[in-house]
Amino acid sequence: MSIFGRKEKATATVIYVSPAGDAREIAVPVGDSVMEGAIKHGVNGIVAECGGACMCATCHVYVDETFLNRLDPMEATEDEMLTCTVSPRRPNSRLSCQIRVTQELAGLIVRLPETQV
Amino acid sequence: MFVFDPYSPEMDSNPFPAYETLREQYPCMWSEQARMWILSRYDDIANAVQDWQTYSSAKGNMMDELPGRTGFTLGSTDPPRHDRLRALIMGAFTKKSLEYLAEPARKLARQTIDEFAPKRTFDFVTDFSSRVTVGTLFLMMGLPDEDHTTVRRRVLLMIQSDKATRQKGPEHIEAFQTLVDYVRGQVAKRRLAPKDDLITKLIESEIDGDRLAENEIVMTSMTLIMAGVESLSSFMSMMALNMHDFPDARRKVIANPELMAPAIEESLRYNTSAQRFRRVLMRDVELHGQRMRAGDFVCLCYGSGNRDPRKFPNPDVYDVERRPQGHLGFGGGKHLCLGTAMARLVTETAMREFFARIPEYGLTIDKLNWTSSTTFRSPTSLPFAIQ
Repeated sequence: MSIFGRKEKATATVIYVSPAGDAREIAVPVGDSVMEGAIKHGVNGIVAECGGACMCATCHVYVDETFLNRLDPMEATEDEMLTCTVSPRRPNSRLSCQIRVTQELAGLIVRLPETQV
Repeated sequence: MFVFDPYSPEMDSNPFPAYETLREQYPCMWSEQARMWILSRYDDIANAVQDWQTYSSAKGNMMDELPGRTGFTLGSTDPPRHDRLRALIMGAFTKKSLEYLAEPARKLARQTIDEFAPKRTFDFVTDFSSRVTVGTLFLMMGLPDEDHTTVRRRVLLMIQSDKATRQKGPEHIEAFQTLVDYVRGQVAKRRLAPKDDLITKLIESEIDGDRLAENEIVMTSMTLIMAGVESLSSFMSMMALNMHDFPDARRKVIANPELMAPAIEESLRYNTSAQRFRRVLMRDVELHGQRMRAGDFVCLCYGSGNRDPRKFPNPDVYDVERRPQGHLGFGGGKHLCLGTAMARLVTETAMREFFARIPEYGLTIDKLNWTSSTTFRSPTSLPFAIQ
């Protein structure tokens, strides 16, 4: 609680790693998507042209393997959209607009692809 | 009393002063002329395109809808059906899968320039942008080259509205129906003899084991043709006009072709072809002191959101280095333009060829004529002289 009695919004750290290997740690509000965390903090390398509707495949990330089985399984549309990414799809590819940040995901590492468009 | 009438000729030629009044004084306004609410601020539009449960596309997306289209195209369908259909077609519209179009588009651009350049004067719309875009689209769809002119003529008619009656006139609907029959014929031909093209792909596609319905194939093909013939060609023409109106920007891009891609984004922001689309409300919504009711139509004024100073500082300045992230030039949300990669590829390819041959050009008339459309905005011709 803050001194004004307003409840601080809980956050969890997400680490965004650029193709060059530079890492940025962002405290993303729980409930926001990994994509929103990047866009709101100006992380380069996530475009998110459709704004989070799972329709453009420009928020593609490679999820660190240690976190992969902690994510909710992907739905059919995300699976189909992942065939449309510009950088190659790998087994750990996900669309970051479809990953909701939770306390359990604190420390999540996502690697950004070479290009989104 | 301020009136926002999307059927007035001023809206075709220069809607931007009216947009400013809307944004600053009537951000949620009922237009009696349009018979719908008008949203003009960036945040309101960006929110509406994300909130498809409230702002539904299921009753059509064009300001004046065409008969028999609604429910059978991507733009007039809601999830979950929309998402499956979209993911299926999107495979053909990714940057990677469109690479095969770059070389034909380049050749087409060179060939058309070869034809009109010796004349020293030309119409950018009929001599260049429409020929390159229609040619590229026809290649993709597998449509015969000799049909270019008739298909384009019908598309240009069907997107217009009658200014007097404020709806589609019989000539617009007839052009649409004739084109539907033409596309239906093309689909029938491919059922007998499949080809390596997009219409065949639609015929052979399945969602959860089900083939697409006949009308879905026909109306989706119609939308792709409309977008390829109208939106893409118009956008390229608008960009050529921007580059004419702002010669410093043009010279900057020609000196540094790396700026072509950001210049395209800035033109998409500054004057997108798709100025206005509509949704229908699924529940009552309160906004800026107005109460909109379930069942009301709402116009999302992309062209205005793109000039909202709350989002884009100095919005009326055309700046090729702005790199406007989140612009609404392709709409957004579930219904984000399917052809984003195609538009960027064809525009960049064609404009590079154009500038390489024609770096300096000027308009030969003072006043442009604009397409009469409530949804799209573009000049009917751009007569240029090579300087």
